[in-house]
Amino acid sequence: MLGIDDPQIWIAYVLCFLSAIGCIIYGAIKWNDGQDEEAC
Amino acid sequence: MPVSTPVLGIIVLIYLMVIFYLGWLGYKKTKMTEDYMVAGRKIHPYILAVSYGATFISTSAIIGFGGAAGALGMGLLWLAFMNIVVGIFIAFVIFGKSTRRMGLKLNAVTFPELLGKRYQSRFIQGFSGALIGIFMPLYAGIVLIGGARFVEATLNINYDVAVLILTIIVAAYVITGGLIAVMYTDALQGSLMFIGMAFLIVFTYIELGGINAAHTALTAMNGMVPESLAAGGHLGWASMPALGSPIWWTLVSTLVLGVGIGVLAQPQLAVRFMTVKNDKALNRAVLVGGPFILMMTGVAFTVGALSNVYFFDNLGQISVAVAGGNTDLIMPQYINSAMPGIFVVLFMLTLLAAAMSTLSSQFHTMGTAIGHDFYREFIKKGELGQTINVTRISIALTILASVVLAYALPPSIIATATAIFFGLCAAAFLPMYTGALFWKRMTREGAIASLLVGTFASLFWLGFVHAKEAVPLGISQALFGKATLLTGTWTVVDPILVATPLAIITAIVVSLATKPIPVEHLEKCFEREIKN
Repeated sequence: MLGIDDPQIWIAYVLCFLSAIGCIIYGAIKWNDGQDEEAC
Repeated sequence: MPVSTPVLGIIVLIYLMVIFYLGWLGYKKTKMTEDYMVAGRKIHPYILAVSYGATFISTSAIIGFGGAAGALGMGLLWLAFMNIVVGIFIAFVIFGKSTRRMGLKLNAVTFPELLGKRYQSRFIQGFSGALIGIFMPLYAGIVLIGGARFVEATLNINYDVAVLILTIIVAAYVITGGLIAVMYTDALQGSLMFIGMAFLIVFTYIELGGINAAHTALTAMNGMVPESLAAGGHLGWASMPALGSPIWWTLVSTLVLGVGIGVLAQPQLAVRFMTVKNDKALNRAVLVGGPFILMMTGVAFTVGALSNVYFFDNLGQISVAVAGGNTDLIMPQYINSAMPGIFVVLFMLTLLAAAMSTLSSQFHTMGTAIGHDFYREFIKKGELGQTINVTRISIALTILASVVLAYALPPSIIATATAIFFGLCAAAFLPMYTGALFWKRMTREGAIASLLVGTFASLFWLGFVHAKEAVPLGISQALFGKATLLTGTWTVVDPILVATPLAIITAIVVSLATKPIPVEHLEKCFEREIKN
């Protein structure tokens, strides 16, 4: 996969992208959450 | 491809002028202690995310760890994955939100103060402050070395002068502008780093004929691993090292776990969660932070490993050989020979920005640790006095210590010193910090015991067992006549894997054996959750 034979490496490579995309999705979905928590 | 010094000088000058403008802006906006310490708790999410990322990623991550990937291969991508999942997602969503709320409830302005107030212990605050004040100069010293080496090489000035110039510039805006100045300049520096690294990965893949072609070429080089590395378990740059071999332990325990988990308990990063006014800012920061870190460590480690293909195609040698055995030189050598001239300028600026953004936060954290946590809270028992001025003097003193270290430390120390500091923070602070946020049953005695056990177990392992530090230090040799007290695999297991579990067990056992913290205090710490 992706020119890499060792699954332990290409899995890490793919996971890097998936986790970054996950962060984008999380931030986008929760874009306006937590707004009214300005206690104090 | 060299670039003329005057052109580079002018670009660096323009960059520094913008930095000074942002520092001045921070100075103008700093009116109260809270502004100086936690940027008034109203920082914009983009600035939070990029500032956090730029502080997290220093020259050492790009040059030091990128070079390590050049030697050890793409297995380091596991660290990049950890950086995103643990360093950004878990840090912001799980630790960040609780830290922000508790910091506000307890009116804490530093990381040690948050812990001290949560456990109602001046000792915890003072000891943590002192620990940071003593060991962070080691980490700041190596970042300074990295930055100064760049200034030396590109502007053709003496290394000693470069150290001084870099220190004075960063110190000037940290001491006057506090955390607002630090975070504004970080955001600019982080944006520069993002552009620089994006160019680096695109150029590298184009140069090597595409993503698949580049990786295939690297896989094809498996047979070229030098004898010395192969003996340690190295199976090629596109493969993980042999399970359980010395290189596997270094990669997995020191680099991936040590740095990957250690980030959660970094005082200069944790304090940033207290700079935003609501959880919304933290949610939004995740969106920026994830891709930012992918672009930093993901790119550095991939390019570091792929430099082997470039050097083999062009010079018939692998990266370590081209760099003369010094992995710190792999990335600079690769960029200088493979990238177009204009990119070299951009990348040099990227590196300068990476060094300065990390340094500024280190200076700020060290100063507040000694000035606020150790001096004001521990020695003066909370008396206000001249907190900001004392902090400013402490910043100056710890900077001095870092500069002295930058002159005194040996050249190959960069990656090691980073790992030492991250590991020490994980063992000393992580169990106590996690308990503070998520385990109401954790007691003051449990926290103190875990802080002491984590700190001293970590230092003991570094001084007497972990061969990489114990052998050059020579304390074990002098006291017991043996280079390390234990032998075999133990000598390659990182302190974090021993000291952190010990500290966690201590925290749990001692907490359960001692009297719980009064409910009234817990209500104060966790007010919102208890009410709802």
